[in-house]
Amino acid sequence: MLSNKPDYPRVPSWPYFIWIVFLSIILITIVVWGVSFIVDAPLEEEAAWAVTPNPAKAPWYFIGLQELLVYFDPWIAGVVLPTQILVGLMLIPYVDVSPHAQGRYGWKDRKFAVSFFSFGLFLWFALIAVGQWFRGPSWEFYWPYFDYPLGGNVWTYPGVPLKMTTAMLGNMPNWLGAISIIVFFIGGMTLPLLFMRVSDSFKLAAIFKDYFKKLGIIRYCIIQIHVLLMLGVVGKVLLRLTFGYKYIFTTPWFHI
Amino acid sequence: MSKASPEHGGDRKPGVIGTVWKLVTNNFIFRTVFRTGFPDTMLKRMAVMRSSFLMHILPTKVGVHGLKLYYTWCMGGITFFLFLLLTLTGVLLMFYYIPEEHRAYNDMKDLLYMVPYGRILRNMHRWGAHAMVFTVILHMARVFYTGSYKTPRQFNWVVGVLLLTITLLLSFTGYLLPWDQLGFWAVTVGTNMAGATPFIGFEGPFSELLGAQIDNDIRFAMIGGTRIGANALIRAYVWHCVGLPLIASGLILFHFYRVRKDGFSGPL
Ligand code: HEM
Repeated sequence: MLSNKPDYPRVPSWPYFIWIVFLSIILITIVVWGVSFIVDAPLEEEAAWAVTPNPAKAPWYFIGLQELLVYFDPWIAGVVLPTQILVGLMLIPYVDVSPHAQGRYGWKDRKFAVSFFSFGLFLWFALIAVGQWFRGPSWEFYWPYFDYPLGGNVWTYPGVPLKMTTAMLGNMPNWLGAISIIVFFIGGMTLPLLFMRVSDSFKLAAIFKDYFKKLGIIRYCIIQIHVLLMLGVVGKVLLRLTFGYKYIFTTPWFHI
Repeated sequence: MSKASPEHGGDRKPGVIGTVWKLVTNNFIFRTVFRTGFPDTMLKRMAVMRSSFLMHILPTKVGVHGLKLYYTWCMGGITFFLFLLLTLTGVLLMFYYIPEEHRAYNDMKDLLYMVPYGRILRNMHRWGAHAMVFTVILHMARVFYTGSYKTPRQFNWVVGVLLLTITLLLSFTGYLLPWDQLGFWAVTVGTNMAGATPFIGFEGPFSELLGAQIDNDIRFAMIGGTRIGANALIRAYVWHCVGLPLIASGLILFHFYRVRKDGFSGPL
């Protein structure tokens, strides 16, 4: 490791490092102070039970979850998915055990890891952007510049219906839903393994085989389950937006 | 006037600033505070880092690559500094704010219109909190993209994820405190989701197995009632001002300890 290599170029912390710390502190203080000087933090009317604002938006970092509420029941969007995201994040160092590309930007050596993580981040901020800027009363789609009374509970455009989209929502037939889920997960878990056997002359297959050998079956399963969960979320979103499916599988106890 | 000759700079006569500087620093009282003197030799530079309480958490020497802005983006340090800034402004806000259902909102108005510098104090706490959430995400991204979570830093990454969670919870609990419509309904929406937790939330699947009801489930434990009210406010307040900051401080200390013990990441 670098820190115990005697010949690696190092400099005394004073002043080369302290200098950076000092400058950062001043810079951040100025920025926070400057912004606070110009922009006032929001403060709305006093809290009142009787007055439900429409829409009631979460702070931006939770708006991604709120946006997911459109597509999933609260127990999935608000509990299962966030838990899974946090657990998945914590698992990263334990499934990505290759020591390569440590301590530097290593796109070439870790194309899959970087793509997966980046796609997750992108998804997160895309959901935030949609929730923050494109959702209005009743959590319907609106353009950011469309003037609606955020924070009030009175709809001020008589004659304009509260809901802009009147698309009919339905459920996917249960048999189709069950088959889709099973095919998606079983297929998703096994297809890469089958693909690996295709033929070594196929370059991607060879790369994947090598990758799998280093991972082992357990790590492969953990990673692939998370890949599928993430794609599954995207899939459900698309299914609702295109076919108007509210649930793809319903049971007396819960719906997915 | 000082009789001392300049320590360095040859025989040049000290100017006014130099003389005053000598007067202030070249006496034994000053030396009881700052032991090393001006760190102009390598030995003193090592000593100053080790003997200073505030700086001894930092290494005495750093690898040049770790100093590069494009490597760390300074994001961990900036996150920590924002945490300190929020602690300071937060404590000041506590002098003016009472978490009582009928009073909290008025205290906010007082801060805005009556308390000297109250408005900018509140603004700094608010925008600083938003900034901290953002920088902690950026810090996580840089640690990921530089592969810095790999051996031997796996566990510090886990601690980091816990810190991310705590940071979000800190922001969330703080959101309720102004007791305005914005925070009130955001927290209502958020805690309603907790009510949908499987098994232990009254609206969640399988809630009847454990007998979860609106007045004994996880949501009830969080907000101390069946809806957001005075109890939720005091709970948010205590978590926001005592519980979560303590947990965050402990985790941050541990996080730093591990960064020092594992050594800073870098090319193998
Ligand atoms: C309150 C939140 C946090 C604070 C104050 C904090 C602070 C720091 C600081 C000051 C460093 C030194 C290097 C640098 O600045 O990049 C560091 C390193 C590190 N942080 Fe954090 N951090 C926080 C959250 C996180 C999160 C969310 C993660 C990951 C999920 C994380 C993972 C790491 C790791 C693995 C290192 C070692 C990096 C290396 O050696 O290159 N930290 N942290």
